[in-house]
This record gives sequence, structure tokens and C-alpha cells, in this order.
Amino acid sequence: MIQELVWATSLTLMAVLALVFIWVAFKARIELPDYGPAIASAYQKRTWLFGLAMVILIWANYRTLSHLPYVSSSAAQGSAATVQPVEVVGNQWSWTITPSNLKAGQTAEFHVTSTDVNHGFAVYDPDMRIVAQTQAMPGYINKLRYTFTKPGTYRVLCLEYCGVAHHQMAADITVAAR
Amino acid sequence: MTIQANEVTIRSDEGRSLISARAAVLAYLAVCGLVLLLMMLLGLTMRLAQAQWITVQPDFFYVVMTMHGAGMVGITGLAGAAVMWHFVRRYVPVSTAVFVTNLVFFLIGAAFILGAGFLGGFAGGWTFLFPLPAHSGALWSVNAAASYMIGLLIIGTGFLLLHLDVARGILSVYGGLASGLGVKQAFGLAPEKNGPPPAVTASTMVSIVNILGILVGAAVLVISLVNLYVPSFTFNALLAKNLIYFFGHVFINATIYMAVIAVYEILPVFTHRAWKANRAFYFAWVLSTLMVLTVYPHHLLMDFAMPTWALVAGQVISWLSGLPVLLVTAFGALTNVYRSGIKWNATAGLAFLGVAGWAIGVIPAIADGTIEINSVMHNTQWVPGHFHTYLLLGMVAMFLSFVTYIGTTGSSALASVAFWLYTIGGSVFVLAFLSGGAVSVPRRYAVHLPEWLPYDRVGSVGAALVIAGALIFVLGFLAKLPSVSASESDA
Repeated sequence: MIQELVWATSLTLMAVLALVFIWVAFKARIELPDYGPAIASAYQKRTWLFGLAMVILIWANYRTLSHLPYVSSSAAQGSAATVQPVEVVGNQWSWTITPSNLKAGQTAEFHVTSTDVNHGFAVYDPDMRIVAQTQAMPGYINKLRYTFTKPGTYRVLCLEYCGVAHHQMAADITVAAR
Repeated sequence: MTIQANEVTIRSDEGRSLISARAAVLAYLAVCGLVLLLMMLLGLTMRLAQAQWITVQPDFFYVVMTMHGAGMVGITGLAGAAVMWHFVRRYVPVSTAVFVTNLVFFLIGAAFILGAGFLGGFAGGWTFLFPLPAHSGALWSVNAAASYMIGLLIIGTGFLLLHLDVARGILSVYGGLASGLGVKQAFGLAPEKNGPPPAVTASTMVSIVNILGILVGAAVLVISLVNLYVPSFTFNALLAKNLIYFFGHVFINATIYMAVIAVYEILPVFTHRAWKANRAFYFAWVLSTLMVLTVYPHHLLMDFAMPTWALVAGQVISWLSGLPVLLVTAFGALTNVYRSGIKWNATAGLAFLGVAGWAIGVIPAIADGTIEINSVMHNTQWVPGHFHTYLLLGMVAMFLSFVTYIGTTGSSALASVAFWLYTIGGSVFVLAFLSGGAVSVPRRYAVHLPEWLPYDRVGSVGAALVIAGALIFVLGFLAKLPSVSASESDA
């Protein structure tokens, strides 16, 4: 899952940065007699770090921007030749999903809207991990494509705070084996 | 009055204010300290309820959530303003009367907001996302929603006056906001040594972005208010969302940009090394000014109706906006402290922690600003995880450094205990949020599934430790307030 990768990468980078601060804090007690060369060396390192950061930035954005979830994007367009349209309407505090029975291997194209306030249409897999989401907005239809790869009961939760029964706004999508 | 930039302490119009500048700053710190504690307790209440260690009815949970959000955004704004005003008045003339007016407006606005929540049951979320305030499900009245919005408008008016006054002061010394920001120095068109001090650069940036942000926020608040009483007057929900997140993003980020002035001014006192503004520093602040104003679409990455170019720009600018923080401010703090012979106490430690928390928080924030990741992380606990990292361990740590600096309470053994309670508790607290987000625990849920409870319980323990640390800092300051206020010397 992408979540595990993001969590592990973030935690590693956060820990490295924290260790740098801790190391400098502990080293700081001993005074350096001549600060000039140290600061010059630090600025040189910063230039290298800036270059490295720019390379990572360009690479990461190039990689991730080729996987946009928007139906208008080429990645989403190419995800399936045929799609199963699914109409989704959110209102305080329930979902209407038509149809809610799908087949594994089928690409669903959710047409998501709301009749009252902003809601968040999030699809959780049978292990309760988010696999896709989009906002449900009054006046707009957001199109979201997702290909269900494994059968089971997928849970739909609302992820945009929508009032005092927000946490109860849930529904199921059943995915049968192909 | 003679003004010489960078050197001379400039006295403001204290004669026209009922209280002195020093007393006004102390009043800000007392109010901010107490309200911060109260808001932290509301936050702990939510975590304990999610952990099922206490019982809170969902309708009241969401009232608490709304009050916590609005209260924290407001009080960190006020705390940042105290830091900024205290230091920028060393370089430019500012009005004590306007500064005090902002505090009075804040307290009046806070009364409206607290009344809306705890008396009127308003639970529309601090972001008052249009048209939710008008769709309460009969749980709050139109008047309660209006009271909340009027409270925000009053608070915004106070901040607008303050930022206009600071901008006026900067203009009177530097002749223009571009000069106050150090644009010429950023592009090598003027010598670095003639550039504004870091406090002025940061204050100029905040003045620019917050004046714009507050005006946009006020516009959408007025629209929402009209909609409350005239439901036939409707507004485009996506446009409203854009306006709200522009205002919200700018305002909350400005709190950090104000608080970091404390680091620029306090850390050198302990390291005996001046925080020199150089070309990279000015360039970073010019870039940050532009990026704070343009990056807000990263809050709308799951609004597929938005133009794709705006969302792609939101991702790219999110990544870019992390660089000035990491490579200028964090690097500046590290080099300023590196083998400086510093004698650590809680004041210096909190300033250093503040920069660390800010820089470390950038990492999960950038992750969340990436569209592919946002698809599975948006509105999970990853979001409060990253913003609490750079606000609680970043901005608030910087503010508490300032509190202990002004109160001269940073060198006691108790302050050291408080520092470690705050640092360890804060780390546990934010990691519980982030790890919850990684397993898709939604944010803003009053009731949690059994498998989510361990994250909530660890987070609750972390929150309790943070509050214990903050309580020691705030009570220590309040206990010393009489002697500090009696002292004529400016810290």
C-alpha cells in the first residue's frame, strides 16, 4: 500500500532531520574558536543540498504527476476501455450509491455529488484502508475511477466534516468475484 | 522622533495609549498563555473521547472541535502578533493603541465565538465550510452560526488594523514594502548590509499576506452571513471553498512567520552570534511571500472539479515552499547554534525546538501535498499529524520561548522539566496522529472503531504530557508577572 511507503519514508526523513538537530544541540556546548571557516563550509554544503533538493523535487514531481486520479488525466483515461458508471449522492448523513454491487476487475466510474453540503466520498477496502476518494460538492459532479481488484465488502465513509452525524455517514459497496 | 533603521529602538505613540507597550505585550502573553492552555484541554478532551476513556456526546464533541480549531487558529495568530510587534517596534514606529485594540477586538470576538459554541451549540467546524453553517440539522440556530461568523469578523478586523499599522510603520522607514522585504538584496541589486533586519523582513511578509488573506476571509464570511438569513442568496460552493482555504492557509502560516522572529532575535542572545540576513535569506522570504499566496490549492486536491493546472501547481508549489524553510531558516538555526558554546536553558531550547518542529513538519506536509498521496491520506489523521508538528512543536514552541524570555523563567530546573515534557509529549502526540493517518483513521470523527483506539490512547498520553509542560511554562510566567511588569527594563 502507498500509505506504508509514505509512512516509512516520512518517518525516516523526520528521524534523520531530528538527529541532525540533536547532534548540533549536543555539539553546541563546546565553543569553536574560529567560527568563520565553519560558516563558509556550511554555506557550501547548503548549496549542494539545494541542488540535491531540486533534483529530488523534479524527479518526485515528474513521477507522481504522471499518476493523477482525475478522469481528465491521461493516466485515468487509459485505466480502462469500458467503465461501469456508478451514481453517488451524499446528503446529511447518508450515501445513495447506484449500483452498489460491482465485480472484481471492473473499473467503476463514480459520479459523485451532494444535495446539501460538502462531503468526502472515500472508499475503504476490506482491510479498512483508503483506496480512493473525492469530494462530494453541491452543484458539481466529481468523476472518480477505481478498478476493484479483489472481492469483498468495501466501506464508504465521509471524509469531509458535514455536521454532527458526520461519523455515521457510511455505506457499503459489494464487490463479487469475477 | 529620529529613526535609524536597524539600530535605534523606536518609541511608538505610547502617549496616546492607556497602557505602555511593555504592559500591552505582557497582557498579550497572559491572554495567549491561558487561552492556549484552555484550547489544549479541549484538544485533550477530543482525544480522550476518541480513545473511549471518557464519554462525550457527538454533538458536543463537534462543538469542542469547532471551538478548538477556531480558538487555536485565533490564539496562535495573537501569540504570533505579540512576538512580531514586540521585536518589530525596535526598528519601525508602531502604535500601541492599535496593538491594544487588536487584543480588545480579539476578546470581544472570542466571546461571540464561545457563545455560539457553548451556548448556541454551533458545530460547523472552524472552517465554516459553505454552506454547512446554514445546514445544522436543527442542532444550532441561524443566530448561533451568525454569532460565530460575527466573532470571526471582529477578530479579523483587529488583525487587519494591526497589520495595516505595522505596514504603515515599515513604509515610514523603508519607503516601500518591497524594501521592507529586502527585494533588492534578494536579487543582488543592493548590498546585503543595507538590507532590513530579519524581524522587519518577516513582518513585511506577514503584513502583505495577512492583509490580503483577512480581506478575502471577511468577504466569504459576509457572503455566508447573508446566506444564513436569506437562503435564496446562494453562492458557488467551490468558489467559497477556494476563498476559505486561501484565507485559512495564509492566516495559519502567518502565525509561524511571525513567531519565527523570536528565533531570529532570541537565539543569537544565547549563541552570541548575530543572525545575519544575507541574499539567500531575503530571496527565501520573497519566495515564501509568493508561495504562501499561491499554494492554497493543495487543500483542494480532492476537488476534482478544480482546474487540473491549479491542482498541479498546488503540488509543485507545496514541494517548493518547503525549501526556504529547510535550507534557510533551519540551516540558519543549525549554523547559529553549531559549536557556539551555548548554555542551554528552556528559552534557547524552545527556540531551537521551534525551528526543528517547523522543519520536520514540512516532510509529512509535502507528502500530503502530493496528489497521488493525497488520494489516500486527505482528511485522515495524517493532516492534523503534520500541522500539529509544525504548529505545536514549531510555532507554539517558538512562542513559549518568547514567553520564558520575557518572563525570564527559562533557567529553572522546573523549566527544564517542562521543556522535556513538552518535547517528548509533543513528539508522541504528533506521531500518534501520523501513524493513525497511515492506517486511514479519519480526522474529525467523534466515534472511533475499536481498531483505531490504540492510536487515540497513545495520542492522549502525549497530549497530557504536552499540557503538563505548557502548564508549567504559563503558570511560571503568570507567577512572575507582577515582578516582570514592575520592571522598567525592556527584555
